[in-house]
Amino acid sequence: MMNSAPTPVPPILSLEDVTVRFGGLTAVDAVSLSIGEGELVGLIGPNGAGKTTTFNVIAGVYAPTSGTVRFAGRDLGRSGPADRAALGIARTFQNIRLFGSLSVFDNVRVAMNLHATTGPGHALLRLGRFRDDEANVARRTEELLELFDLLRFRDAPARSLPYGHQRRLEIVRCLATRPRLLLLDEPAAGMNPTEKAGLIELIQRVQKQFSLSILLVEHSMKVVMGCCARIAVLDFGAKIAEGTPAQVQADAKVIEAYLGENHAQSLTHH
Amino acid sequence: MAAPDRRISLHPALVLAGALLAAGLVSHFSDHYNPYYLDVALGAGINVILAVSLNLVNGYTGQFSLGHAGFMATGAYAAAAVTMLLGPSLLGADGGTPWQQNLLFLGALAAGGLAAAVAGLLVGLPSLRLRGDYLAIVTLGFGEIIRVILQNVDALGGAMGLNGIPAYTDLFWVLAVGALTVFVVQCLVRSTYGRGFLATHDDEIAAEAIGLRTTRYKIVAFVVGAFFAGVAGGLFGHLKQTISPSGFDFTKSIEIVVMVILGGMGNTLGVILAAILLTVLPEVLRPVAEYRMIAYSLLLVILMLVRPQGLFQFRRPGRP
Repeated sequence: MMNSAPTPVPPILSLEDVTVRFGGLTAVDAVSLSIGEGELVGLIGPNGAGKTTTFNVIAGVYAPTSGTVRFAGRDLGRSGPADRAALGIARTFQNIRLFGSLSVFDNVRVAMNLHATTGPGHALLRLGRFRDDEANVARRTEELLELFDLLRFRDAPARSLPYGHQRRLEIVRCLATRPRLLLLDEPAAGMNPTEKAGLIELIQRVQKQFSLSILLVEHSMKVVMGCCARIAVLDFGAKIAEGTPAQVQADAKVIEAYLGENHAQSLTHH
Repeated sequence: MAAPDRRISLHPALVLAGALLAAGLVSHFSDHYNPYYLDVALGAGINVILAVSLNLVNGYTGQFSLGHAGFMATGAYAAAAVTMLLGPSLLGADGGTPWQQNLLFLGALAAGGLAAAVAGLLVGLPSLRLRGDYLAIVTLGFGEIIRVILQNVDALGGAMGLNGIPAYTDLFWVLAVGALTVFVVQCLVRSTYGRGFLATHDDEIAAEAIGLRTTRYKIVAFVVGAFFAGVAGGLFGHLKQTISPSGFDFTKSIEIVVMVILGGMGNTLGVILAAILLTVLPEVLRPVAEYRMIAYSLLLVILMLVRPQGLFQFRRPGRP
């Protein structure tokens, strides 16, 4: 599987000629992309470019029509979201999906299940091992919440938190699954400039502190340019450019894709 | 070490042991109780077991099962089969000592629970990938299938059902099984593992995304729920001494669902109180005779309008 590796460090995630078709529509067209260990890569593109579909292929929501997705050298095949979470791929959702009725504490605690050593049988018997494990989970949960300044909301239902905090809690919940790769699906959606600045800081902090690889799918240029060293651009399902923020911003195809969209919009409004 | 709960933590097994002791004590004096009240109390207890077990499925895990009476029937017939078929040969002609009878009854209840759990697994495996309304239809169909099968198998008495089931059910058994049901459901739910039931209830897609196998959680909830419905069926049969398929029809399932909804889904204490209330209410309404069911239904409508979150839901939803 790991034959002729060109780089000394194999990429944590690689997409090889991934194509996704829905009936006659080609949502993702032969996209190849790789993310190195510890790298923060941005994926941008105009509306309908196939960003979210690409994201969902990596997260295991859709299986690619053709092409392969590899994680740490291993073909992910048709495995589902739960399998991928177990392998170390965590994701957030564009329209935040927390466990609304559960407390902030429980939202993170339940994500610790992936690495828990006790199950339903232990929960019934409640012997020493169960108590140790539960105490351990509680301690680690509180540590994580403290680290992201959410411990003061410990017992509040997640749905009662303000929007920005919900976004942060969703990321903390991901961290509780001990991921190696974090997928962020338009985390800046619905945020004001101040919140966006906070988000950039948060993403960079998470990446450093937890030595994660991150794929950031984003609509907001400010956020992507602000934190990614490398950016890939999609348009009509195909990758049209890839490079540093400066390279991408100067790319003729990228400018056309974004301006062309504006043109098309102004034309249809006549 | 950080305490996972800031309440005074008494080992749940001690609480269960205390409850069993209390059940024995209360039951010891049951000869002195008014037989009518005792009968209502036993019925209420069995309904508590049914409602608390269904609450694990419909309340905590958020699945809509309409087949609880079907599992109850499975357990009732299996338990009755054990005491009626094995009883005479095991206990001898004199009927055996009370201890022997109780031991046989324990085995019968376990058999009833296991039979229902197996039925739960068989129904659950293919259908729990379905969501909401679809699952409701499948479980509804299952309940009806069980009833029709029982009605048409002559060895099980057909439409007449089984008669002459020994009267083994007493206050102790009902209280003890009730305590055990609450113990199991609460211990499951109040754990890191068990928070997965609630997460499945809140958002299945998010639950899968953090690595929870939601189908497995649903099956566990379904099988545990079915087990206790089966045991409740065993208690019911050995209380009434006669069971017939018509006693386990769709309306019985609805009745249990109503208890769960009225109690506040996913709130065990609320569901216990609702089960008791809904058993006692028809008795209290006896004076209005033929208007009884109208009054009962009207009360349900009013309760749902006034307290849609459940009659006894005082805490924030989902934080039992």
